[in-house]
Amino acid sequence: MIWLTWRQFRAQALTGLALLAAAAIVFLVTGLRMHQSYTAALAACAPLHACDGATPAARALGAQLSQLPRSYEPMLMLLQLLVIAVPAVIGIFWGAPLIGRELETGTHQIAWNQTVTRTRWLAVKLTVVGVTAIATAAILSWLLTWWAGPLDYLNGDRWAAMTFASRNIVPLGYAAFTFALGTTLGLLVRRTLPAMAITLAVFIAIQILVPALIRPHLLPSTTTTFPINQASTSQFHDFRGTQTEFHFDLPVPRGAWLTSQPPVKNSAGQVVRIESYPECFPDSQGEAPDLSQIGACLAKDNLHQTVTYHPASHYWLLQWMETGIFLVLAGALAGTCFWWIRRRQN
Amino acid sequence: MNAILQAHALSKRYGQRQALVDCTLELPPGHVVGLVGPNGAGKTTLLKIACGMLAPTTGRIEVLGEQPNGAAVQLARVGYVAQGTPTYASLSVADHLKFGAKMNPAWDAKLAQARIEQLGLNPKQKAGKLSGGQRAQLALTVAVAKRPELLILDEPVASLDPLARRDFLRHLMESVAEHDTSVILSSHLVSDLERVCDYLVVLVSSHVRLAGETDDLLAQHHRIVCTRRQESDLPVGLKVISAEHTDRQSTFVVRSESELPAGDWSAERLELEDLVLTYLEWPVDHGAGSAGTPMQPTGEAQ
Repeated sequence: MIWLTWRQFRAQALTGLALLAAAAIVFLVTGLRMHQSYTAALAACAPLHACDGATPAARALGAQLSQLPRSYEPMLMLLQLLVIAVPAVIGIFWGAPLIGRELETGTHQIAWNQTVTRTRWLAVKLTVVGVTAIATAAILSWLLTWWAGPLDYLNGDRWAAMTFASRNIVPLGYAAFTFALGTTLGLLVRRTLPAMAITLAVFIAIQILVPALIRPHLLPSTTTTFPINQASTSQFHDFRGTQTEFHFDLPVPRGAWLTSQPPVKNSAGQVVRIESYPECFPDSQGEAPDLSQIGACLAKDNLHQTVTYHPASHYWLLQWMETGIFLVLAGALAGTCFWWIRRRQN
Repeated sequence: MNAILQAHALSKRYGQRQALVDCTLELPPGHVVGLVGPNGAGKTTLLKIACGMLAPTTGRIEVLGEQPNGAAVQLARVGYVAQGTPTYASLSVADHLKFGAKMNPAWDAKLAQARIEQLGLNPKQKAGKLSGGQRAQLALTVAVAKRPELLILDEPVASLDPLARRDFLRHLMESVAEHDTSVILSSHLVSDLERVCDYLVVLVSSHVRLAGETDDLLAQHHRIVCTRRQESDLPVGLKVISAEHTDRQSTFVVRSESELPAGDWSAERLELEDLVLTYLEWPVDHGAGSAGTPMQPTGEAQ
């Protein structure tokens, strides 16, 4: 049975292996070069103690270091997209045809009438191809996590939707899930092409819905309320306003994932407008406004602003939770396949 | 040895459509059973239920004394060649033999090898590139080399040209004779079955209409031509299968379990094809009062 699975999967597996090898070469060649310039820049900073130091030499080095993410940005986007897309490709080209093609061409009738039970037939297929799928995602995710290490550190953001979904262990969960999804759809729809299309559609929907609606709510987030006065605004980073609302960039702990930062409200909880306080917002003529002055001016009106975030310590918890959820879903889909395939007998 | 297939009140419904109705059947071992009927009569459904590919809606079935349950033991005993003789298009002939060997503990590699050589198939050829006849032969080889006690073939020659048909059936008969395998073979063409079957089951509109050893059936059925009369005027013990009347004479096809009594008629035996066609044309039990124009066999394409 393992022989048959391998024999049927051979072409797809070899194609996958060739693409994986090509990707690995790109990762290694560009990654080694980038890591080299990163270590060199850090080494140059070391005698000056810090690259964001006060001396002009240190500042120059700092600028050089911050140049790194900018010059590798397109490459990072591309590789990130690759790691995110691989589970979809696996689901479409490995999952959907796994049973769908057999039902479509009638070969399940020859397979199911040998001295091998259907349950075993399915179990071997799911295991061999499923494990290959997860391993492929693991290799790519590991490569990207290594490759982008310096950039992620310099950017200081591990939480962006695409960043979170393409690093560490989350891609494994997605690969397992999309593979199981494609397989199940192939079994239920009994046609490869529609199963492929539905797999892709579901995958895209999940990539949009999970970071927006699910990931932020897996763990309780922290909400902090700041009163608007001179003391608080002097700690704020920036200020942004539009016609209808304004808000400050509030301080959150280092490495936290800021999920929501609604505009400034009054004590009744209503959003307030800039034009209600013309005296507090003098035209700064393009210069950065003095935040503490604005705070002092607004203090009498008892305004406040909140910020909601996940602390840095949630990163690995959320990585495990998201991976776990999709592994469980993959298991449920595989269970559906077993149930469906045995159901016809009794 | 007990019946190879025993069905009791077996029915299968797909949504609204009744594919098999109240099928009660007992097939003795050691025969080549021909299952004949128009397209959509329920042949495929019955065979799929027999090999465990489908579960019946109601009723019981035992194949080789066991319910078809998909267990490995039962799978080893029943060989099945599905309609259209599917094979793995991307696998070569040799791969198919390897497939059979890996999937069946009782695989007869020598037999398989010999058959492939005898057929002149190139082991390196992909199954997708074989002709219909060659593909059917390959599917048969895989099913036979598994050494089943019962071999079920669903319209194996339907898409083959006459020469390939004859070849296929000849090979089938050879391997069956050699290994003493029981066979159930379906077709919508009687001429295919006439050559190879010694037991016949006629399935019409989801019902079993006739079942028995071919020689017995041929001995029991007669066409009698006599002066015009009602069916009720025929002697008791004659079952009227079909009745046609002209102004002066009546023609009946009758079945009698015992020898046909002498009467004021001319009687002749039927060819197998005639016999089957009569049953296909007169699908409902033909009793008094229902005489009239023959109904067309109703059958929906599956």
